[in-house]
Amino acid sequence: MKKPVDYPNILLDALEHGIMIVDEAFNVMYWNQWLEINTGHDYSNMVGKSLLTFYPEIDYRTLQRKIRTTLRLNSPTFYDASLTNRFIPISRNKISSSLLSTMQLQVTISPYIIDQGMVMIAVYDISDLHELKLTLQKQMEKIAHLNSELQHDKQIIDDNLLIVKTDGDFHIIEVSKAFNTFFGFEKNELEDCELQLICSDKIPVSEYAQMKNTLQNGQRWSGEIEIISKNGQAIWVDAVVTPWSNNSGSLNSYTAIYHDITDKKRLELLATTDLLTKLSNRYKFDEIFDIMLMREHWKTDDTFAIVMADIDHFKQINDIYGHPRGDEVLVQIAKVLSQTLQTGDVIARWGGEEFIFLLSHVSASKAIHVAEKLRMAVEQLRLFVDVRLSFGVSLFVEGDTHATLLNRADTALYKAKKNGRNRVEIV
Amino acid sequence: MLKRVEFSGDHLDVLRELMNIAVGNATASIADLLQAFGTMHIPKIAISDIKGLKQYMHETIPNESSHYVTKQLFGGPLGGEFIFVITDEVAINLGNHLYDVEAPNDADIYDAVIELTNILSATMISRLTEELNIKVQFFLPSTEIISGNDLIYLEETAEYSQIIIISTQMEFQNQNINGHIFILAKDAMIQSLKDLIDQKLEELYA
Repeated sequence: MKKPVDYPNILLDALEHGIMIVDEAFNVMYWNQWLEINTGHDYSNMVGKSLLTFYPEIDYRTLQRKIRTTLRLNSPTFYDASLTNRFIPISRNKISSSLLSTMQLQVTISPYIIDQGMVMIAVYDISDLHELKLTLQKQMEKIAHLNSELQHDKQIIDDNLLIVKTDGDFHIIEVSKAFNTFFGFEKNELEDCELQLICSDKIPVSEYAQMKNTLQNGQRWSGEIEIISKNGQAIWVDAVVTPWSNNSGSLNSYTAIYHDITDKKRLELLATTDLLTKLSNRYKFDEIFDIMLMREHWKTDDTFAIVMADIDHFKQINDIYGHPRGDEVLVQIAKVLSQTLQTGDVIARWGGEEFIFLLSHVSASKAIHVAEKLRMAVEQLRLFVDVRLSFGVSLFVEGDTHATLLNRADTALYKAKKNGRNRVEIV
Repeated sequence: MLKRVEFSGDHLDVLRELMNIAVGNATASIADLLQAFGTMHIPKIAISDIKGLKQYMHETIPNESSHYVTKQLFGGPLGGEFIFVITDEVAINLGNHLYDVEAPNDADIYDAVIELTNILSATMISRLTEELNIKVQFFLPSTEIISGNDLIYLEETAEYSQIIIISTQMEFQNQNINGHIFILAKDAMIQSLKDLIDQKLEELYA
């Protein structure tokens, strides 16, 4: 049978999808060119014959029900196109990237000539779309898997790392569970608090400002700080604070990761503290001394001084009252000297009955004045025995080294002893 | 902002009456085509915004189970979205009934759900549009499985000022099939529906 050449047929043959007309008994009344090409069955083979002859594998019970529904309701019915093709199988020739060997079809059964029980079945190749969907599904599964791993990692981080996130104004916006647990805070308790509020007031305001400045310049800041727990305990932590920028490049948050260094600090304290007087020891003093020497901006009237002090006739105290009472004297003197010294200056036990001081930003007269103040503070101390201290002062001048400065202070101290004790001398 | 379309009591009465006829038709069609005999509830009609719709669905659909949610668009002088919601358990019953197999596979279930949606939408919407003397075009339905009753994703939804919700429930006890139906129309379509009802009223009272 030859296909009649007329306009509707030309039009139907020009379509880029399959069109067939069948009746309720599945007899084919029309088979367009797209179907001829893609199924390998031409019009003359199909027309007048039943679909069953060529496609026995289709579920004809379902097809019949759909055709019946279409005819009864005078409305189109559809096959589900989301999973597998349930209508006629049509081979697909895409080789390069195909996930499908047969076409995924979208099938619409529309009423054609109702009183003759005929419907028009349109089949659209939606394989590319379906492939995209399958690929997308696979990608979504991958993303879901990665997301689940990320969530797992996030949980581990939340449970184990001490993290605080702040907004651009250093107000806390998020705190890890581990941080809250470690420092005894409730969930959300710290939200909106200024970051500085949880830091110990031992941290100078200037240092905190410097940290802010570094971060606001987009640089990472790291250092050791003390955090105050809910019950008021100061805990040393090592902090690394990282600034985060938004898409437009402006800084909008900071993330601080803390690491508890209590043990390290305890060891450090043990290594740098004189156990009897609780003052810094010689090792710690030398460390600070060396840092001061490295600074290059000292001037004659704004320099630093080394002051050595020695308890006059301390050997007699030990000999007469015994070493425990001698130690008591050392402790009391250390206490009064520490209290008399102003913030920023350094005191250490140099050894035996000797103390050493580092006074920063002083002139010669200022250094002598401070030493004199220290001397008088000890003189006024009321103990079981009168104690006096002799002081030797040396002022840093250009070219000085650790040794030269100490030597001069020692010489000055010797001079003070020689000149009658309980006095201050400068060399 | 779009002007709100005010529906009078008369408009709502006509719409309710039309929908009653439509659900009657749907019940008869299902009995005829799917050999399932049951009832459909008198439809409820409400006018809301998108948040109200989400809330309405939360109140209507139980949150406990997974649902097969089939959405089908229809276009023309009266366009909108037809949504049919059934639990996964009911979907399996439907697959059983239509495909006559003990354990229907996913493809059977999806196709059965699509088929029932087709019948419901075609009968209900067609009956409505027939009464209003207009024609509509039906588009391919699509089904997705949604856990719980969050059927509307607010973040993915345009802010329509008005949505008309027509909802009903179908129950086919012998086959253990029941589900919820929502017919949604928005903004301009609501005005169109009102105009069509006005014409209908004029015809009735002419």
